[in-house]
Amino acid sequence: MLVLGIETSTPAASVTIGSEQGIIASSLVTRGAGPGDFILPAVEFMMEQSGLSYRNLSAIAVGLGPGLFTGMRVGVATAKTMAQALSVPIVGASSLDLLAFDVRYSDKLICPVFDAKRSEVFFAFYRQVPGGITRETSFTVGSPDRLVAEIQGSGEDFLLVGNGALLYKDALEKVDKVEFGSMAYAFPRAASLVELALPRLFMEDYDRLFDIEPYYMRRSDAEINWDRGMQRKKA
Amino acid sequence: MNGDVAASLLSEFDLETETETLPQPAGSSQDELLVLGIETSCDETCASILRGKDNVLANVISSSADLHRRYGGVVPEVASRAHVQAMNPAIAEALRLADLTLWDMNAIAVTVGPGLVGSLVVGVAAAKALASVLEVPLLPINHLEAHIYANFLEHPDFAPPAVGLIVSGGHSLLVHMQAHGLYDVLGETLDDAAGEAFDKVARYLGLGYPGGPAIDQMALGGNKRAINFPRAVMHRGYDFSFSGLKTAVQDYLRKQEEQGKEVKLEDVCASFQEAVVDVQVHKTIKAAQELMVSTVFVSGGVASNSRLRELMSAMCAENDLRLHYPSPEYCTDNAAMVACCGHFRYIRGIRADSSISAEPNLHLA
Ligand SMILES: [Zn+2]
Repeated sequence: MLVLGIETSTPAASVTIGSEQGIIASSLVTRGAGPGDFILPAVEFMMEQSGLSYRNLSAIAVGLGPGLFTGMRVGVATAKTMAQALSVPIVGASSLDLLAFDVRYSDKLICPVFDAKRSEVFFAFYRQVPGGITRETSFTVGSPDRLVAEIQGSGEDFLLVGNGALLYKDALEKVDKVEFGSMAYAFPRAASLVELALPRLFMEDYDRLFDIEPYYMRRSDAEINWDRGMQRKKA
Repeated sequence: MNGDVAASLLSEFDLETETETLPQPAGSSQDELLVLGIETSCDETCASILRGKDNVLANVISSSADLHRRYGGVVPEVASRAHVQAMNPAIAEALRLADLTLWDMNAIAVTVGPGLVGSLVVGVAAAKALASVLEVPLLPINHLEAHIYANFLEHPDFAPPAVGLIVSGGHSLLVHMQAHGLYDVLGETLDDAAGEAFDKVARYLGLGYPGGPAIDQMALGGNKRAINFPRAVMHRGYDFSFSGLKTAVQDYLRKQEEQGKEVKLEDVCASFQEAVVDVQVHKTIKAAQELMVSTVFVSGGVASNSRLRELMSAMCAENDLRLHYPSPEYCTDNAAMVACCGHFRYIRGIRADSSISAEPNLHLA
């Protein structure tokens, strides 16, 4: 089953073609003009190099964030439209899940952390289980201090990975019992997206094309301000 | 401005030579050419299928206007999220209406700008994905140019050279279309777009959002000569300005309140609308005369305004000018006009590849 994975929810834009037999082609860029300029030339290049065409694809997998709004939208809009044109199923996965899956060979609690801008981070806690990981918390957006408090509160040993963990290393380092992942695991990758999508595809556990959406985790400023205004009026 | 025209002429020349070297696709004559248009520059998610230059097989418009109403204007982040949800159902609906599949399409035309960047990228991403998967040409379209092309959808005799207005919530331009792909912007608004001025004045009057249709409706029962609002920069070239007029409406309302006089909303609307329309019509007629162009057009959301149509029709008749304007469904943002502009691009041999991107500040000329 040939799957195209598209993951552009962080500053790393990546695309991968792979199947249950392995990764066929992969491309990742962490700086440049943006995911909108990267995805299609990269996909076309990979197909050319591997002698494949769109008609060989059985499914599309897409990273849903949480992450950067524009990156998520470009990735999701591209993936949905490809799935629509090819009439193939689509499967979405959280970018936090992808990164935790990449570093699952640890007995510690695994916490992928992405820079969410505005001095905040996206994070969630995961634990290794045979063959994969389970998520133990919901996706959270909050200050690095909040993450520190949650780590201390749990009393467990932690493995922190992701660009957010590296960015706020100074603050997070103060906690005992934390270890930092390498910069090779700063971002989620489409290769793990393909790997995580395959079992779901075999079980025909697809997402609905018209319903699949990025994990925004934040409302627009206008909506937030509006609600504040309403609360003020009520007060 | 002359330098710009020379530059456009040059690029036009280059493009014309391209036409001869590019093969036309087998079995698709110009009349049978199928173009899928995509438009997401503001708060409307649009998909349209056009056969030939003017046979609109589907024109789907999915608006998120309801989500913006309480904020009194389009909220970019809200619009962007709505596009991600609405884009693929809109494409599916267009295909259903046209009774075609994506694989029947000969080209994909998409608005790349000007517009809200977060909105544009959604349509551009979808269009690029389609062009890449279907292996058909991608046609990047200027939204303002598409508004002019709305006139080709319904008027077989519409042809350049022409002079006209592009007036909407986001734009107010007076344009000289010299040939396909060759434009001269004669004048622009120095502050608000015409539609924006309508929205703001509607807000002062408590008429809600969007303001254009509300004011148009209210003005029907009013006297357009009741209040003499200023006609802005009538003497200065072809540019527009609406901020002075907006302030004049506010001043008028305040004075009436101070003097304890009742405000007749119908009269305020009719008089304000007349001031907006009067300036636009006179500048358009003057430009047509000065450039010795006999075809005039009005495009964009505000082109649906009944008084603008009435006065422009009267003035064009008086001056022996042919007037064209699209029906309301092609005045507001839509993808049929994008597909139409794409059609003319395609037959002129202009193509793009998957390296196009959204250009929020794209200019017409
Ligand atoms: Zn428009």
